[in-house]
Amino acid sequence: MLATNSSGRQLDTGLFLIVLLLIAIGLVSIFSATYISESQVTQTKFTKQLLWAVLGLFLMLATTTTPLRFFYKRAYIFYALSLALLLLSLFIGSGAGTRRWISIGPVSIQSAEIAKVCTLIALARYLSWDNRNLGNLKEVALAFMLAIVPFMLIMKQPDLGSALVFLAMALPMMHWAGLSTVTLFVLLAPLVSLICAFNYYSFFLAILLISVVLFLSRRGVIFFLSNFIINIGVGIVTPIMWDMLKEYQQNRILTFMGLVQDPHGLGYQVIQSKVAIGSGGFWGKGFLDGTQTHLRFLPEQHTDFIFCVIGEEFGFVGGFLVILLFFYLIFRGFSIASTVKSRFASFLVFGGSIIFLFQIFVNIGMTIGIMPVTGLPLPFLSYGGSSLLSNMIIIGLFLSAHRRRFAYL
Amino acid sequence: MRRDVQNLSRFYLVVVVLLFLAMLSRLAYLQLFSWNKYFAESERNRVRDVILDSPRGLVLDRHGEVLVDNSPMYSVSVVPYEFLKSDTTVTLLASILNGVPADMKQKIKREKISNFTPVRLKRQIGFRALSGLEELRRELPGVFYNVDSRRIYPSGVKAPHLFGYMGEITQQELAGLTENTYQSGDLIGKSGIELTYEKYLRGRKGVKYVEVDVLGREIRDLADLPGRLPDAGKNTYMTIDANIQRFLEKRMADLRGAAVVLDPRNGDVLAILSKPDYDPEIFSNPLTPEIWNSLINNDGGPLYSRSTQSLFPPGSTYKLVLAAAGLETGLLDIHEKITCTGSYRLGRRPFACWKKGGHGEVTLLTAIQGSCNVYFYKKSLDIGLANWSKFSRLFGFGEKTGIDLPNESPGLVPDKAYFDMKYGVRGWTRGLLLNLAVGQGDLLTTPLQMACFTMAIGNEGTAFRPRLVSRIEDAKTGRIVSLDKKTVQIDGVSAQSYQLMKEGMHMVVNAVGGTGRAARVDGADVCGKTGTAQNPHGDSHAWFIGFAPKDNPEIALCIFVENGGGGGAVAAPIAGGVLRLYFSEKKMPVTAPK
Repeated sequence: MLATNSSGRQLDTGLFLIVLLLIAIGLVSIFSATYISESQVTQTKFTKQLLWAVLGLFLMLATTTTPLRFFYKRAYIFYALSLALLLLSLFIGSGAGTRRWISIGPVSIQSAEIAKVCTLIALARYLSWDNRNLGNLKEVALAFMLAIVPFMLIMKQPDLGSALVFLAMALPMMHWAGLSTVTLFVLLAPLVSLICAFNYYSFFLAILLISVVLFLSRRGVIFFLSNFIINIGVGIVTPIMWDMLKEYQQNRILTFMGLVQDPHGLGYQVIQSKVAIGSGGFWGKGFLDGTQTHLRFLPEQHTDFIFCVIGEEFGFVGGFLVILLFFYLIFRGFSIASTVKSRFASFLVFGGSIIFLFQIFVNIGMTIGIMPVTGLPLPFLSYGGSSLLSNMIIIGLFLSAHRRRFAYL
Repeated sequence: MRRDVQNLSRFYLVVVVLLFLAMLSRLAYLQLFSWNKYFAESERNRVRDVILDSPRGLVLDRHGEVLVDNSPMYSVSVVPYEFLKSDTTVTLLASILNGVPADMKQKIKREKISNFTPVRLKRQIGFRALSGLEELRRELPGVFYNVDSRRIYPSGVKAPHLFGYMGEITQQELAGLTENTYQSGDLIGKSGIELTYEKYLRGRKGVKYVEVDVLGREIRDLADLPGRLPDAGKNTYMTIDANIQRFLEKRMADLRGAAVVLDPRNGDVLAILSKPDYDPEIFSNPLTPEIWNSLINNDGGPLYSRSTQSLFPPGSTYKLVLAAAGLETGLLDIHEKITCTGSYRLGRRPFACWKKGGHGEVTLLTAIQGSCNVYFYKKSLDIGLANWSKFSRLFGFGEKTGIDLPNESPGLVPDKAYFDMKYGVRGWTRGLLLNLAVGQGDLLTTPLQMACFTMAIGNEGTAFRPRLVSRIEDAKTGRIVSLDKKTVQIDGVSAQSYQLMKEGMHMVVNAVGGTGRAARVDGADVCGKTGTAQNPHGDSHAWFIGFAPKDNPEIALCIFVENGGGGGAVAAPIAGGVLRLYFSEKKMPVTAPK
């Protein structure tokens, strides 16, 4: 193999190169998205991101060479520290109308990104304990709590997109840990009830479906009734909770569901983003030639909507390549997770892969109009140092797990 | 555990594959199958059609003097997307332009083509507003001003009824159009020749394609989309002689009335006016309700063209129609002598002649010369209503002359059917005919019809449709297209009859005792006929019709002064002034100003 160190530990070269390639594509896209004119090449964002990428590379390699035992031992400390950071950002945080960022000198740190990595590690440690029994409701609840606490704190900032990442990683990781599919269903059912609660008919159908599955699971009357009541309860509470949501959050959900037609608001972002990508065609309009991008028809094109720049300027070819690279990344993650000897490593890599999967699908899905607009960056491509560094650290964990795949921690 | 993990891993891999397939198929749908649609949309986003207005054609008089010209003015336009983002922008602009924010929003809503195509919000803004815009430019995103043009009238000829005015195209007008020539907010001729010659004057708009950003700011002209320059409207040469028009406008400035001067050789209208009128430039400026109200509430009816639209009985000038009818039907003998005692009694009702003491013994010619009513009362009974109506129609009364102005009135020629209808079959007597014989009663004519009648007599039966425009010039190529004159042949009146009518008219102006001597011009051999139409509501209306010279006339005219008094005293001198001017100009031909 390309990089083999003295003790015979291998670097997963494919994964490593793919991440570098994604970062390079991200840099090119950020350059284009923030490009003003030839005479005005003040590419401060590009330069900044480049610096972050270099720093990230060091961090990634450092993580790669660190035994996972190091993280295992300090998992809860990291977790506690990240919660403290989230709390801190609620007091001293900044950002347009939110408290997402903590400023330290010239740099701002997004506390949710740090919490993401720390929670992943904490969950992996909790779930990887050999005697973990997820048939025990108390243990399920505790694992769930690990994700719910940062979720709530981030919702307070408020940052719906980043918060959802915690729920998205927790459930599959518990599933991975042996949580039965029925339990997973029981946990997910209220979510379905929640979504369906806005309409009497859909809610009725949801409850009917849930009841049938509960009945078929043959877990007894108490199990059936308690779950039935919980789901009914969710349906009643949801409209009340709805009123407590921030207006912009309500709007995002409504626009996505096609209930609000607002070409100047969120609907506008989705329209322009689809126009940008669709107009790219097969080969794209060419680097720096995207009219949607350069005439500023796209909002937040260097951050959340970076995929539009790729779609417009590099067309289907570019978009396909990026999606393919992401697919390989997640595929690699899953195969590492199912081959490593260490349970801790398996959870880490599996959870990390799920984080990537969630972010990729939600972000790209948003730009192509199949997911609601949630402010969530596209891993490795979107502008933003915290996001890039946290994702590169996760990749570092992947690489470390792969290197020590034969070790039991 | 091992087996479990393998199964779970497979399960999740299936989920991943499904999600990625969803993304890929959606991407393919957007970029491969809907590319056309989205590409077109992105082009619409960035390419703005900037409509380049075409300068409207000029209007010139027959000698090339510019009568209607264009002058630059500033208009304010807004890009709806940018402008409507914030209410404070709308309020600020409204305060600068003295407008109402809600009205402005409504206008934009009504007229906008797309969110990024500018809507012209207000024309002709003052310098104060202009400097306000310039000063607050930063606070007014999506607002800009551009240079438009408005009509000005540099020659001093006002003639608002002739030129007409321009106005913004209405939604109904727009809906009625089949071609896509106009857009909401465009100006279009609303009356006068601005209306009749709209299709020549308007030219063809050009278009420029520019690249704009999301704020609607123009980034650059698109080199690969060249656009098209506007074609200027065609210059319209009127038949009007600005000198005669100006003379008459000045001469009749304080009167109510109308004047029509024709060239009997081709129907060219040398002058046409209606008083009182107004300055046509008020329609080039924003029309305030005060100005509009003062126009519509004025008793003089300045909006109304007395020369082509208003209807009056023509008085004694119309005696010539009865004369023609009598001569052609053989019911009138030119040697027959009739004694006028100043009154004629039909049954128990007396019909007065204008001359109290009477004209004494008169023949046809002296009856025309002295405008004897009694002669024509008597002869009308011989000639009859049917013949009178027939010859009235023959000379074109009761129908439009076909002049190239909108809203001409046809007038009214009563006949038996008309009276039967109005009064009942047995409800009227021959007394009505006596009134018609001297151009009174229910007969209604326009001054333009009277001028055309005069032209027909002067030409002895060959008349022309009156026209205001004779040539159309393509401003770019300089090519001039002459419009054909339209002959209106009057069949059924012999040359001898015309000769007699002309002889009588010659005597009216030139013989001692003629009623129209004030119209006499040395050496011009003027023929004419006066008329004094009695008016139950006030002073009589003064009429004069005439032409000169007697043989092969070059000028024919009709002067009408509402409530002016006697035709010979009031209208004939005005005609004399026009004729003197015409013949003196002829000696010193006017050179066309360049």
